[in-house]
Amino acid sequence: MKFGTMLSDVSSSLFRRPATENYPAVRQRNPARLRSFLKLNPESCTGCGLCALDCPAKAIQVTMLDRKAKQFIYTYHADQCLFCGQCVETCNQDSLSMVNDQWELAALDKESFSVVLRDVDYAAKVLAEKPASGSETPAKA
Amino acid sequence: MTTNQETERFTISIGPQHPALKEPGSFQFTVDGEIVTKAYVRLGYAHRGIEKATEQRNYIQDLYLLERICGICSHIHATAFCLTAEKLAHVEAPPRAQAIRVLVAELERIHSHFLWIGVSAHEAGFDTLFMYSWRDRETVMDLLEGLTGNRVNYSANVLGGVKCDVDKEQKAAILAGLDFLEERTRHYFDVLTNDSMFLQRTRGIAVMSRNQAEVMGALGPTARASNVARDVRVESPYAAYKQYPVNMMLDTRGDLEARFVVRLNELFESFRLIRLILDTLPESALTVRFPRRIPGGEAVMRLEAPRGELFYFIKSNGTDKPERVKVRTPTISNMTSVIKLAVGHQLADVPMILAGIDPCFSCNDRTVQLTNARNGSSNTMTWEGLRQHGIEFYGGKRK
Amino acid sequence: MNGLWAIVALVAFPGGLSLLAGGLAYEWVDRKLLALFQNRVGPRWFQPLADTVKLLAKEEIIPDKANKILYIGLPIAALAGGLTAALYVPLAGLKPTYSFPGDLIVTLYLLSLLTLCIGLAGTNTLDRFSMIGATRTLTQVFSYEAPFLLALLGPAVAAGSWQISTIASYAENHWLILMQPVGFIVALIGLMGKLEMPPFDAPEAHTEISAGALTEYSGRGLAFFHLAKAVELIVGLTLVAAIYLGGVSNPLWFLVKTLALLLTLIGIQSLFTRLRIDQTVGLWWRYGTILVLLQWLVLILVKRM
Repeated sequence: MKFGTMLSDVSSSLFRRPATENYPAVRQRNPARLRSFLKLNPESCTGCGLCALDCPAKAIQVTMLDRKAKQFIYTYHADQCLFCGQCVETCNQDSLSMVNDQWELAALDKESFSVVLRDVDYAAKVLAEKPASGSETPAKA
Repeated sequence: MTTNQETERFTISIGPQHPALKEPGSFQFTVDGEIVTKAYVRLGYAHRGIEKATEQRNYIQDLYLLERICGICSHIHATAFCLTAEKLAHVEAPPRAQAIRVLVAELERIHSHFLWIGVSAHEAGFDTLFMYSWRDRETVMDLLEGLTGNRVNYSANVLGGVKCDVDKEQKAAILAGLDFLEERTRHYFDVLTNDSMFLQRTRGIAVMSRNQAEVMGALGPTARASNVARDVRVESPYAAYKQYPVNMMLDTRGDLEARFVVRLNELFESFRLIRLILDTLPESALTVRFPRRIPGGEAVMRLEAPRGELFYFIKSNGTDKPERVKVRTPTISNMTSVIKLAVGHQLADVPMILAGIDPCFSCNDRTVQLTNARNGSSNTMTWEGLRQHGIEFYGGKRK
Repeated sequence: MNGLWAIVALVAFPGGLSLLAGGLAYEWVDRKLLALFQNRVGPRWFQPLADTVKLLAKEEIIPDKANKILYIGLPIAALAGGLTAALYVPLAGLKPTYSFPGDLIVTLYLLSLLTLCIGLAGTNTLDRFSMIGATRTLTQVFSYEAPFLLALLGPAVAAGSWQISTIASYAENHWLILMQPVGFIVALIGLMGKLEMPPFDAPEAHTEISAGALTEYSGRGLAFFHLAKAVELIVGLTLVAAIYLGGVSNPLWFLVKTLALLLTLIGIQSLFTRLRIDQTVGLWWRYGTILVLLQWLVLILVKRM
């Protein structure tokens, strides 16, 4: 017949700091394998679009403009992304990886989540040139 | 749901929103004073149409969709899908991948059981145990984050193998974490089996005999606490369970305390298994080539989720999208026991009885049959028929 | 009692506003220490005050079939009962504002009035959860009231009076916790029952019946009940400390003794799980009553000798 079996825990807690992390004042180290924002190696990416095909959340959009000249717009929608890492596995050129420290992604507007990961100036030029044409402007899926 | 003054009986509804439920589900108990006289359950509040959604996505995307059926048994759903798809494609994942799948599955079992200890303690009003067991659960979540990259929905599986490897650092971290967790589990075992006030809430309550358990279709630790010797890892070993056999944990009493004891014993067994796997991890590749298009066929797979037997059925048709995926989770089988056992107990015991089966409502909402609540009729519609019905219902024209 | 002092005592100090502020402060200590016992951080110092302000600012929704007068009047009656009971106990270490022979019983019944108002409020709102909560509240009152009363009357018999100030001054010379230890334990546990602290919080078991008797209350009514409970905390602690822990002769002793008692209560609260209502009644009518009657037996025998 025991009463108060948690006594050892309760009394030792008085002499210990609370187990709660005081975020954001204190930040733990990011684990090495944590999956956060996507990173693309612009040199090796061929624009094949397999990553966009396999993405469960339709977070990647590859708009091919000229396959021979390797002119395409690679858009990553961070607000759709599940951070599952399938795109990293699918890529045959090993161009994709997920960094481990960009996980505080809250923002006040939706547009800032859609990021062009390659040839940013070229993409901006294309978008400025053809504002209303359906086939060439990357519309949100 | 009316106050019937003449017979002085109430119908208390627990749910769909209620502090006792972590997920929505509607229970209606007719009480006479404090004793429950009738019980009725209505589920379906967390139905998201996942099985239908799998038909429009390819196998690779479906893996991540099915992983998100549940937060605490996500890995076992993903593993089930991988194993079934691999069966259809006649592909076998390499031994190291199978062992790592089992490793993550056992870590997930530890995570789930610690969470459950906390939640049941909270239902009983023992908030201190709730806080401490959830603090200790953070340790296993950190281990999983270090190993797979995420605290829940680990995404460790790919079709044909696993994504993450276990290196020396991971192994040391896991072993250190397990030592801490084992010591805490021993402490909780002592608390849960000796604290007289907690035993007043669990000993001798919701006793389910072996016969009752078998007739009602109870699964997993709920059934093993009533001496039903069923454990899929032992009966039909999958993944690496052939190389790492598991001992079945049984208890003959069948009451709530027995369910606590069985789950705590399973924790000790998981600790032993993980240490064994880490010591004897086979050397091999991590993945094997998996075809995009799977030959037509049907395959079935049974696995042991932390809550009981999980059942997967996939029908493929030669394309890269499945034709039909059917998931049967253990909670929906265990729900019958809640309804039957609640009658005759006090209202205060009902949340404990519900917590005793370790309910996971997100898991259990895989539709079996829709019944019209107003006139009791039920009919099956094709996809086209449902679409037409929707158009007419909202005032469009029949095409 | 001169009129001006009476008004000041009722409104500002030691009753009235400072009592309310003190009650909220003690509630903060309760929540913060409970959190520390559970290895977590707990709320900041202004949390109970912020809760009260927020509740006062919210809309009050009155259920359709409830009696409006009772619905609005019961919280006021509960708070009034708590504040009035405070007039007879030595708050803040000062002499009680009003004192007359027999005021121990009056104080205890004013505190019970508070619980009774909660029970009536639950029955009035005609909601399933409230009715079960109200039934449990009233059942619990019937179970702990007798042993608690007897445990507080033991020192009254020893002091030869039923007036709180007389008992308190008697207690200053005789530490009753040492002379009547069993009575102290019953009084302590009884206080937990009165304050509906775990393990006796079946009336507001939120995992079974949402919020018990107060489920349908919101806004101003809930704020008053919340304040009434905070006042009950301070008054109950003062009563037990004054009677058993050697009186509260000055503000410093008042703080030290009531906080020590609160610490003990919180420690006990964190160790136990919630009892079902039938187990609570069984516990009180079996062990509580027997213990306190044994204590009385000893007391009477000692008095005879």
